[in-house]
Amino acid sequence: MHNVTYVPKRLLEFRNVTAIAGVGYTPFTKDSGVSTLTLACRAVLAALEDAGLTADEVDGLATHRVGDSAPPTLVGPALGLSDLAWHLDQFGGGSVSHAVVGQAALAVAAGLAETVVCYRAINARSEFRMGGTGRGVPVSPEVQYQAPYGYVAPPQQFAMYARAHMLRYGTRAEHFGRLAVTQRAKAVKNPRALMRTPITLDDYLSSRWIAEPFRLLDCCLETDGACAVVVTTAERARSLRRPPVLISGAAWGGGTSHLSGAGADPTVTAAAALAPRLYAQAGLGPGEVDVAELYDCFTYSVIVQLEDYGFCAKGEGGPYVESGATALDGPLPVNTHGGFLSEGYVHGLNHVAEAVSQLRGDAGDRQVPGAEVALSTSQPGYILPATSALILRRA
Amino acid sequence: MAYRPEPDRDSRPWWERIARREFAVQECASCGTPRFPPRAFCPLCRTEGCRWREVAPVGTVESWIVNHQPFVPGRLDPYLVVMVRLEAVSGCLVYGNWRSERPPEHGERVVGTFTEVTEDLTVLDWAPAAAGGVHGHPSGRTSLQ
Ligand SMILES: [Zn+2]
Repeated sequence: MHNVTYVPKRLLEFRNVTAIAGVGYTPFTKDSGVSTLTLACRAVLAALEDAGLTADEVDGLATHRVGDSAPPTLVGPALGLSDLAWHLDQFGGGSVSHAVVGQAALAVAAGLAETVVCYRAINARSEFRMGGTGRGVPVSPEVQYQAPYGYVAPPQQFAMYARAHMLRYGTRAEHFGRLAVTQRAKAVKNPRALMRTPITLDDYLSSRWIAEPFRLLDCCLETDGACAVVVTTAERARSLRRPPVLISGAAWGGGTSHLSGAGADPTVTAAAALAPRLYAQAGLGPGEVDVAELYDCFTYSVIVQLEDYGFCAKGEGGPYVESGATALDGPLPVNTHGGFLSEGYVHGLNHVAEAVSQLRGDAGDRQVPGAEVALSTSQPGYILPATSALILRRA
Repeated sequence: MAYRPEPDRDSRPWWERIARREFAVQECASCGTPRFPPRAFCPLCRTEGCRWREVAPVGTVESWIVNHQPFVPGRLDPYLVVMVRLEAVSGCLVYGNWRSERPPEHGERVVGTFTEVTEDLTVLDWAPAAAGGVHGHPSGRTSLQ
């Protein structure tokens, strides 16, 4: 069997060598009324403004997309950047969102570029609906074994994995509901969030079915918007406008497939294989994480990641949430912006940006006092057998 | 009906067998390991070459959903999709619509049942083992009820 033991050999050359120097957003809406190219340019410029840089200083651009958005080769020329030293057009969904930032950090650490802006721009409500309704089936060989049964969309797939977890570990609807309620409470304190009306567990339990066991309030928003972060060297970031946030670890890959052929255990994600490598890179463990922005395309994806990133034992994710541990005043505040469930869904990048905000201490009413270390993660490796994540640290 | 499957160069022989109401998986010509879905290479010994082996479509229920959202245009009725751990191939999960008036139970033994969706399309669905199965479902509907 394939079983590579990863022995990090060059940690000192990557850990804390690069930093995020700025973050930028467009407003989050249900209908931006503009192209993804326009959204991308606005977010890139906003991130540069935040960092105190101009577009003339950008020598790298990176994004991930699934054929639904403007690539660096369009955004570059649109902003008058004629000779990018490095760019990345990563194919993929939520599971590669943090790999994009990680690869930008690698490029900067290697000296291929000095100032890389990572962005994600989507009209995921008004144009290319991420939830699947009304668009064609994605092209993958796996689809032929699922689509004929009307099994085509992420809410269905994650509902399937969620029920597997419920059956095996006794995870209950109330656990999912508590997570949704807790995240909404944080969004109430976030001026950028789309959903700012508090909800109760009863609201959750009475929301309509999407695909049992998932209700409407298990599912993230479909959002139009863009988000960008500026990656540069830690040394350079120290001389810029904002407090730098160091990239302590960046890992991607991990895990086995949950496709038809290799679904060893549908209650374990790629994050379980990736987490030890990520923590080793950063030189710390889950106990030292102050804030976690965990990919919440659905309530269940947070619960399984709490387990697979080592914050609680396997099967204990539901009770962990129910205990209040993930609330803003709990031992591990999770999705402090309200997450994709309540802030908006920018396919991973708004989790990175929120982690940066928390570590800079500028998160306003939702600030976690004294946050020094943040974990930010991508889709944990369902659907495709890979995930990606970052550990960030206040400089 | 949902979407028609789009067989590729790896899977076309498998779909042809399904059309004949035959459930088969590939078996590595070198080491004998069964695999699904159809692929050229054995993931264990990394060689090409295989033979088709007809196996009993039996397994156990790993999970299921009841769909309510019209992800498939025009398909508004709630329908049940089941995830089955296939007995013939280690670590293999497969999907299908559920062919029973009652919901599945976790870990229950199920058997494949062929559903003729249209004259030129047959798919494999799943039903409680106690109810028989294998020989086909007369209805062309792919939903639960
Ligand atoms: Zn073999």
